[in-house]
Amino acid sequence: MTATRSNNGKKSEPAARSGPIFRFLTSVRLAIVALSLIAATSVLGSVIKQGGTEEEYLALYPEKTYHFIKLFGLDDAYHSPWFYFLLGVFALNLVLCTLQRIKRLAREKGAGKKGIPDVRAVAAGGSGFTVPADRREEIFRRLGGSYRKKAISDTVILYEKGSLSRYGVIIIHTSVLLVLLGGLMGLLGGQKGFIVLHAGEETNSAMSRSPSQPAIRLDFTVRCKDFRVSFYPGGEPKEYASDIEITDAAGKVVKEGRIRVNEPLSYGGMRLYQSTYGMSNLFTFIVDGKRIVLGEQEVASAGKAPFMVARYAAEVHNFGPGVMVAYMDGQEPKTIWFLSKVEKMKTHMIEGSRVTLEKIDGKYYTGLEVARDPGVPVVLTGFGFMLLGLYITFFTFHRRIYVVDEGDRIIVAGTAPRNREGFLEELKKLAEGLA
Amino acid sequence: MITHHTILGVATILYLALFFLHVLYFATKKKGIVRAAWYCLYATLVIQTAGIGMRWVESYRLGIGHVPLSNYYESLIFFSWSISVLVVIMKRRLAYPAITFAAAVISLVLMAYASLAPGVDKGIQPLIPALQSNWLHVHVITCFIAYAAFAVSFICGGLFFFGSGRVVPPADTLDDINYRSIIIGFSMLTSGILTGAVWAHYAWGSYWSWDPKETWSLITWIVYALVLHLRMTGGWRGRKTAILSIIGFASVVMTYFGVNFLLAGLHSYAT
Repeated sequence: MTATRSNNGKKSEPAARSGPIFRFLTSVRLAIVALSLIAATSVLGSVIKQGGTEEEYLALYPEKTYHFIKLFGLDDAYHSPWFYFLLGVFALNLVLCTLQRIKRLAREKGAGKKGIPDVRAVAAGGSGFTVPADRREEIFRRLGGSYRKKAISDTVILYEKGSLSRYGVIIIHTSVLLVLLGGLMGLLGGQKGFIVLHAGEETNSAMSRSPSQPAIRLDFTVRCKDFRVSFYPGGEPKEYASDIEITDAAGKVVKEGRIRVNEPLSYGGMRLYQSTYGMSNLFTFIVDGKRIVLGEQEVASAGKAPFMVARYAAEVHNFGPGVMVAYMDGQEPKTIWFLSKVEKMKTHMIEGSRVTLEKIDGKYYTGLEVARDPGVPVVLTGFGFMLLGLYITFFTFHRRIYVVDEGDRIIVAGTAPRNREGFLEELKKLAEGLA
Repeated sequence: MITHHTILGVATILYLALFFLHVLYFATKKKGIVRAAWYCLYATLVIQTAGIGMRWVESYRLGIGHVPLSNYYESLIFFSWSISVLVVIMKRRLAYPAITFAAAVISLVLMAYASLAPGVDKGIQPLIPALQSNWLHVHVITCFIAYAAFAVSFICGGLFFFGSGRVVPPADTLDDINYRSIIIGFSMLTSGILTGAVWAHYAWGSYWSWDPKETWSLITWIVYALVLHLRMTGGWRGRKTAILSIIGFASVVMTYFGVNFLLAGLHSYAT
């Protein structure tokens, strides 16, 4: 199908191709409208609170505004259908624009080979100069350095430079498409979660960022061997790092390493980042002679009836730190306080089990971000092309210089579609001391 | 004892002198004053560079050594320095008293604000772990060269409405300088955003998180991309370009200052 189309030749293009809709889709105007709307949505997204709960929005805005925000998905503007639609239109426009540009460039290149401008007229127009025939060697020497030379006929030689700059815009536009493509890949195939571990603990699942989504199951186990944090004299954190061990499903250690801020660890396409740290309390209880360690909100099932660590308080009625434990007395929920500094309040009977609070330890935990993003290599390639494209578009320019040997004199003249001013300066330098 | 604060104070006074030299020129139109102003700018730049260097050295003496590009105060100083460096580099093109005057005013305001505003912490702070990366330097430097170039573009845009005369360059020249500043700014802003994204990929686990500063830098990028497209394909010149470059700079100001004060986000180091 495509083959037949291209074989149809340039003259008989299908009507749809040059129809008004197609022309609109390829127009710079559409690009400008799409980009402006993307920018406008971004402004709204940066001003309106993103990803909050209904209560948070109602506390900030009147109800009507909230409904409006919800209707247009502005509470998650950058992932709203509206925003994706804009990005899609923009990407389509960019693809079509770029294809057209490539086509046009190919056509121009074909034409460029045939048509040599009237060099004498170009020189007369100001972008050229004439030198006596005996300076022939000097002109060739000066042009020989950095220009690409091509003999067109016995008397006309073409010198070219910066011909790559014609492709600059195509490179930039393609790079933007690559970044968008990489973003899409990350969106479809990416995962993001969060792990909290105390030293010595391990897990094979990560919490999702939003509580409504299920936890992410990892196909490996992350164990935190150690976590350390150091501080500056002023109290600000200087460095925090986790010693991590990754074991596969068979229980074999497959990766070990220290994760610092700015120094992630990657395993099987998953990257682990040192994100935060904090301190939480661990409560050591002795239940009927058995020692157990619980975190907050954790349930112990060692005794005759399960109980849960409900709440910690650093100070309970001036009796020092204590922890509230909840349990079920038959059908009735009950709570009881254990105080670590008061002998009488250290031990209680819970449903026939003897429970003693042995100690409360403050312990650091490490907060690790886990992320998989298959789009990253594509995005990074896009970045590279973008910088290359910008450089050759804005800081190099294409020029053709024709040297015509007329026997008694040499005409040197040329054209530069962009940056005529810079080109004239260049010609002036070429002509220096020769006229 | 002479500290970097003293040296940067001298630089601020020199910017003030630069301001008055221009005023003097506008009043007397004596060519010699312009030359004196350029020497004054060179001297200011040398002193300011020395001040930044001394702050760098002093941070090492405090045992928390790092390049002075890490907080709001340091960024203000570096912003004003970047504008002056750009003016000197582009001297051949923008050596018009109106432009150098406006650039000196912006640098002076930045320096004065940095040293006088009570909300700006002038102390040398240790680097928090997230900032301990080599990406910090290249990211901050590219961003601020971009801001400086956009400031020059803004100056040209603003001067367009003053009508050309003996001090204000002709409209065509302004348009040319404006365009050149925008392509430098746009390329540098792109580099700044890209280096930031790569850094974020290593530090935050995501190359793009729609943090307000990221978002506003993208908005700024889009504004200048529009300017370039309207210029190249729509042939927008003169008044239209001038208005656009003012809008663009408003977006830069929002990215740099506005986000810090109006919107909370990950980039909160710079406040």
